[in-house]
Amino acid sequence: MPRPVRRSGLTMPINNPRFVDRSWTRDCDYLNFDLEDSVPQSQKDYARSQVRHAIVQGQKGAAEINIRINCAYPDADVPAAVWPGVKQINFPKAETGAQIRHLDALITELERVRGIRSGTVRIGATVETTLGVANSYEIASASPRIDAFGGGTGYDMSMDMGIEMFVGFDQFVYNRGEGELIALALGLEREGGVYMSDTTGNVGNAELSIKRAEASRKAGLRTGGGLHPNVVAPQNLGLTPTVNEVEDAHRVLSFFAELDQRGETEGDMDGRIVDKYEAARAEELIEWASLCAHRDAEKSAAREQTVAELDEQN
Amino acid sequence: MKVFVRRSHLLVPVLDREKVETSWTHNADSVILDLTGIESEDDRSRARSLVKESIRHACRGGADVFVLPNKALARADIEASVYPGLKGIVYPGAETSADIEEADSILSELETGRGIASGVLQIIALIDSGTGVWNIREIVTASPRVCSSGLDELNLCRNMGIIPYADFDPFVYAKGRIVVETRAAKVQPIGISHPYGVLPQFDDADEIYQQALRGKNLGFAGAICPDPSWVAQCNTAFAPPADRLEFFRETRRLFSEGVARGTAAVPYPGTTMMIDVPVDENARVNLELWELCAAREAEKAKAIEKQESTMA
Repeated sequence: MPRPVRRSGLTMPINNPRFVDRSWTRDCDYLNFDLEDSVPQSQKDYARSQVRHAIVQGQKGAAEINIRINCAYPDADVPAAVWPGVKQINFPKAETGAQIRHLDALITELERVRGIRSGTVRIGATVETTLGVANSYEIASASPRIDAFGGGTGYDMSMDMGIEMFVGFDQFVYNRGEGELIALALGLEREGGVYMSDTTGNVGNAELSIKRAEASRKAGLRTGGGLHPNVVAPQNLGLTPTVNEVEDAHRVLSFFAELDQRGETEGDMDGRIVDKYEAARAEELIEWASLCAHRDAEKSAAREQTVAELDEQN
Repeated sequence: MKVFVRRSHLLVPVLDREKVETSWTHNADSVILDLTGIESEDDRSRARSLVKESIRHACRGGADVFVLPNKALARADIEASVYPGLKGIVYPGAETSADIEEADSILSELETGRGIASGVLQIIALIDSGTGVWNIREIVTASPRVCSSGLDELNLCRNMGIIPYADFDPFVYAKGRIVVETRAAKVQPIGISHPYGVLPQFDDADEIYQQALRGKNLGFAGAICPDPSWVAQCNTAFAPPADRLEFFRETRRLFSEGVARGTAAVPYPGTTMMIDVPVDENARVNLELWELCAAREAEKAKAIEKQESTMA
């Protein structure tokens, strides 16, 4: 399976047509249609009925479709969520491996009865409680459907830790460290972003978003996501390698190939050491840049086609 | 275990009689009577003989009273401490579940022998070694008596060969692990921010408050106070901020209105903030904690009033 590109993604209440019907215009790599915390209890059934409509809307812009279910109602939510076109079921407040194994079994059955290729619907396990952090390894290793993992941050985690967020220092060092370490140990994509001081909690802060995305990219992180359309473009841009970085990576690889031909394992290129680690990093960066370019072309073509179809209808 | 408010744990050496006798006047949520650091056998015997009377002094202001025994002399120290009025013990240098199980067993035996209700005595587990930090999960889940856990940062420095240094916090990982594993076990983590955990200061009230507040925002629910100057600051810092109460109430009101309209994503007017379930829950939790803190203050005030009327 090719490495998914998930630089940007908006989480939105699936019961709100104002958000869902415009979701394809946002240029998101993925869309996370929510059945959970942004949907009131009284609207859960209605929300479940909206999944297929949301898939159609989101796909107009070629976004990858994710559905966030309620951890308390997997048996009701999963049958409503797993349809052709859905790439990932996001499971919030994951606390045990057993929850994930149960989810995997539900998805497996629905893939079978709905003609979806077996094993292709991924699980996004989101850790949002201290118990989830404590059980991170068993959660992340509970299903081969999990391909990315990160540490617990955010409002739910803050509540469980008894802390106020946005106080100007990193309160989740341990959580993030555990998540990233476990992702690396299990060969998964590391999720999350680097810490940057934010004392406002403004979910639409584009300036902060681009700084964080660029810093995250340099830290080897590749995924983003948010709640406000303002952060989509900054994340797409910030998590994509720049032209200069790609050129530099090609030079590193050429230099390393020359070293290799001479039977050497490391050498000095413009005052910096190039060795097999630098070469591997350059290779990953070139591959990532190519995947990002492909993803951008895919989304752009889909949006153009949708606009043309709409023009034709009018 | 019933939810409790223990923001300040005032540490008092049992042999310092003046400190013991005035310990109840500082409005601490808890007083810890310290039996450690006593060199001679005579002093140790004298300290043990003073515990019963010390408990009476320490609890006069409504504080929960704990005794800190020596790990190597735990049985004898605990035997000298289990009397009516005692809330529990602070177990120093816990490294494995076996340490806690042993303390649990001693407490059970003494509860039975001394007419104290079974299972009421609590344990605060203090960690001062790498082994303890690594095994924190088995320590905090070893007994239902474990109510709180924290790092003894000075002893952890000694055990790890670290020289305390204000510019660098050597225990970022250890504190994160204690907070996460302790809260995951529904136990209260206690601690303060760096550098006060290794280099405590007592003369700057505002700085004490800031350090305690930062500790709270790392996930701690209270702190051990080596000096009475920390008590008021910890009581304030570990409670929800008074200036946010109106915001929490308004958050709850707006969210409830939104849910009635069929939406659980509600903008907070004049901000870019969206209120959804976790934001509403956070407001609820803070308002509940505020009520609990207010009830604890009332409880202590009542105890002090009773003392003053008795003395008058």
